[in-house]
Amino acid sequence: MKPLLILFFTLILLATNPLHALPDPDETGGKRFTISGNIKDKQTGEELIGATIYIREIKTGTTTNVYGFYSISLNPGQYNILYSFVGYASVEKSIELKENQTLNIDLQTREQQLKEVVITGERPDENIRKPEMSVIKMDIKSINKIPALMGEVDIIKAIQMLPGVQSTSEGSSGFSVRGGSPDQNLILLDEAIVYNASHLLGFFSVFNNDAIKDVTLYKGDIPASSGGRLSSLLDIRMKDGNQKNFSAAGGISTISSRLTLEGPLDKDRTSFLVAGRRTYVDLFLPFAKNKDIRDNILYFYDFNAKINHRVNDRNRIFLSGYFGRDIFSNDFARMSLGNQTGTFRWNHLFSQKLFSNFTLIHSMYDYQLGTPEGNANSFLWKSKMQNQSVKGDFTWYANPNNTIRFGAAAIVHTFDPGIAKGTGDESLFTEYKLPLNYAIEYGLYLSNEQKVNDKLLIKYGVRLSAFQNIGRATVYNYDKDYNAIDSTIYSKGEIFNTWHALEPRLGANYMISTTQSVKASYSRTVQYVHLAQNSTAGTPLDLWFPSSPNVKPQKADQFAIGYFKNLKDNTIETSAEVYYKLMYDVIDFKDNAELLLNPKLEGELRIGKGRSYGLELMVKKNNGKLNGWISYTWSATRRKIEGINNGQSYRAPYEKPHNISVILNYEFTERSSLSANWVYATGAPVTFPTGRAVIGNVIVPIYSDRNAYRLPDYHRLDLSYTLKEKNKKNRKWQGEWNFSVYNAYGRKNAWAINFTQEQDNPLTTYAEKTYLFSIIPAITYNFKF
Amino acid sequence: MKSKNLYNTIRHLLVLIAVSVSAFSCTERIDIDLDEGFTRLVVDGIITTDTMAHTVKLTTTSSYFYAEAAPTVSGAIVTLNDGETETTLTETGPGVYQTAPDFYGIPGRTYKLNINLASPIGGFSNYSAESLMNPGLTLDSINSVFHEDWGSDGFYELKCYALDPPTTDFYMFKVYKNGTLLSDSLNKVFITDDRFYNGNYTNGIGVGYLNQSKTNEKVIPGDQLTIESARITESYYQFVTQLQIQSGFQTPLFSGPPANISGNISNGAIGFFAAYPVTYSNTIAQP
Repeated sequence: MKPLLILFFTLILLATNPLHALPDPDETGGKRFTISGNIKDKQTGEELIGATIYIREIKTGTTTNVYGFYSISLNPGQYNILYSFVGYASVEKSIELKENQTLNIDLQTREQQLKEVVITGERPDENIRKPEMSVIKMDIKSINKIPALMGEVDIIKAIQMLPGVQSTSEGSSGFSVRGGSPDQNLILLDEAIVYNASHLLGFFSVFNNDAIKDVTLYKGDIPASSGGRLSSLLDIRMKDGNQKNFSAAGGISTISSRLTLEGPLDKDRTSFLVAGRRTYVDLFLPFAKNKDIRDNILYFYDFNAKINHRVNDRNRIFLSGYFGRDIFSNDFARMSLGNQTGTFRWNHLFSQKLFSNFTLIHSMYDYQLGTPEGNANSFLWKSKMQNQSVKGDFTWYANPNNTIRFGAAAIVHTFDPGIAKGTGDESLFTEYKLPLNYAIEYGLYLSNEQKVNDKLLIKYGVRLSAFQNIGRATVYNYDKDYNAIDSTIYSKGEIFNTWHALEPRLGANYMISTTQSVKASYSRTVQYVHLAQNSTAGTPLDLWFPSSPNVKPQKADQFAIGYFKNLKDNTIETSAEVYYKLMYDVIDFKDNAELLLNPKLEGELRIGKGRSYGLELMVKKNNGKLNGWISYTWSATRRKIEGINNGQSYRAPYEKPHNISVILNYEFTERSSLSANWVYATGAPVTFPTGRAVIGNVIVPIYSDRNAYRLPDYHRLDLSYTLKEKNKKNRKWQGEWNFSVYNAYGRKNAWAINFTQEQDNPLTTYAEKTYLFSIIPAITYNFKF
Repeated sequence: MKSKNLYNTIRHLLVLIAVSVSAFSCTERIDIDLDEGFTRLVVDGIITTDTMAHTVKLTTTSSYFYAEAAPTVSGAIVTLNDGETETTLTETGPGVYQTAPDFYGIPGRTYKLNINLASPIGGFSNYSAESLMNPGLTLDSINSVFHEDWGSDGFYELKCYALDPPTTDFYMFKVYKNGTLLSDSLNKVFITDDRFYNGNYTNGIGVGYLNQSKTNEKVIPGDQLTIESARITESYYQFVTQLQIQSGFQTPLFSGPPANISGNISNGAIGFFAAYPVTYSNTIAQP
């Protein structure tokens, strides 16, 4: 690894040292000046993430970072700069550059603009020009148009329709990216880790669309600034709050209500946002036929809040948080669970060329499960997972051809796998507590995005990650058969184990012409915390555990190559990507594993290799009366793990070779539009019995090889129709009705297949399919003022 | 509702929660083509401290949708050795091999079962297994309590009073009503480990449940209720746990991937040969 590091630093030095720098086309030898600033939405003052800045004269440019900031250094001269962003009208500025300049730009959405002056701007072709691949940025407006289950618009459900992404099970918020497990996705909400993105057992995700500004999914080419998960990064950013006016948005649907308030506290300097949501599924339960269901209490709520303050031109601070809770209770069980996150950020400009951000983060997921008090068997079980982290990220806009990013992070993990105890005076259970686990994860990175020439852009970076287990801890030692033989006790604060890894991340983009490019990438990712989860759909009872002397970190190497072409003046984007991913020290669980409340959990793990490869095709049309995308994925994922399936290779749980998503939206008029999505996937792999034995008067299934069978193929059509209320002059209130149908043709997709005995004739066994949803209509009323 | 030990209580709750939450779910009988795995020997043998003819049943696996009783295996030589004496079991019915009626197991001894088949099954003619018979545990007493609000017609709960030894122990309980065994299959027995009350006095922990919606479990005050308690080995505890999970309802939410249950018979045969001490405690059902 050492030679690689030396090569890497030499490259960066070469690229940025003015003496050796690659010559600019019009190098004058004089001093460069910097143009920097923020790009915002004109109406709300909300910073735009990933807006492009293109300098016509030198045919190059940059994009705004996640705080809407950009910076570019140029030789003195006359320049025409084009500012553009998807869904917004472009703005062109002509400047004479003689000194450093701050240029803040407000862009207008096309809708706002229609009413005013018409400027036709060039459409962004960032997908062709950027060196990153396997990245999809979702636009909140298009997510809003996708028909949703019970009318509850959902970011995660939209993500599941992208090529290379599979849902883990019908209606679930878990997803698998390029053959990975759901716990291999790093889900960040304003940089804070969201451990469990599900509400109501996964039927809804924790993200309230009204409070979200930007959603970006990295399927492989994860930037060096992020790490800790194997498969993907889902980076979700909350809105900062309207800087210009007080505004509100909300909705009332068949199952939930939500309201978001935002506005300036000090115009253009301080703004806030608060958003809340609550479901009322339980209001409908009294209509259920089953008595046990009628008495259930079942709901969730969540809050998002954010405040930001511009101290001065060089400093800005943000404080944001999320709090959500699911409540379930009835005569015999009580369950409560939820995430909470808090992020404090400080943006600081050391100079116009050096942007920095410092972050403090807290995030937590906890759950409890119990029974009502008053019985000998009454109990309460609690479990918690949390982290506190500190980060510093720097971007140095060295020159138009090089953008260097570096930074460091430390995360303190606390794992509380569970405490179970009897409740009430009658309970007989003594307290049963599993010890807490502590660990610190470090990350240090350096990367450069370099324009080699007009055709070739490269991106190279490296992340050095490390993970330390810290006492107090009891570590069991296992023999070859995974039986605990003895244990070692470490005292408080003692660092008893360290793992580290070097994670190179490389990417290149070769522009064949202005409308087509070829990209390639390689990335290594390492994961130090893992989820003990044995179910396919994902449960709320998540149990995270750290790498340790017994558990190596999971590693993956991913190679991808892609061809990107835009048609019809960049209005149609097409792409084809192939990837090959090797996963090492992948974790699965032995047969009949006991994961809950087990101090010897590590003995239940089985570790081996995984391999995934696939082809992803996508055609996307962003604008026009008819817009949307069609994607097709072909993929295969296998695991080979000693101790599972007799050591033979088997299908990974989410391997669904063929996957098609069609998302179409047709705008009849400015007021009404119809959306449809159709998804198709090969049935998920399952294990079925191939024989039976009778033992103790019970018919016991004898199973096939792991995942040797498949569920029936999955397909579903959803429709939604949106009608906006007439826009009356001088009225701020804007309302719209949304009528949607989930599973429009009532396909009975198998959620599970069970094998049971006939009541009257117990010797006869048969297969029984469980399906969750038939046709589900919903009405939602959304408003803004 | 009906609960077992804490771990099983949790597991049971999860299934109930999954069922409750998926209020929209429906089921439908479907046809599926299943391959047929190769045939294996199935052993189902139990030795207890009771004086009686103890049985080892030999059958084979069948295709999953085979709608008849399991095929029996006749003509085998089945012997039992406790380290001091060896007994040969007599085939009293097709595939049913029994000891003499005066046989009883002795705690502390390790029983070895040896099976020689007349013709090989699954590539082997000889199979063996062994099981240690634990010392017994006598319950101080049991009593019954009626819970009117559990389920639609209520449940009778049988509570046990005993001192759990400081060792890690595993128990199995069966329920009799007026001398008739109600826990007549392995998925109706109640098993527990002592994780949550190790070394303590189990001051009335529930070990048996009678669902008053079921006719054969219906209790009339004055009925004699009996608990058969057995101190089983860890491997038999795990076998029964796995058997109960794998033959029960599975949901994608809380169930792991289906897996074969692991027994203690050699050469890949399915099943278990168990030896355990039993004691009986009685109570009269109160209104």
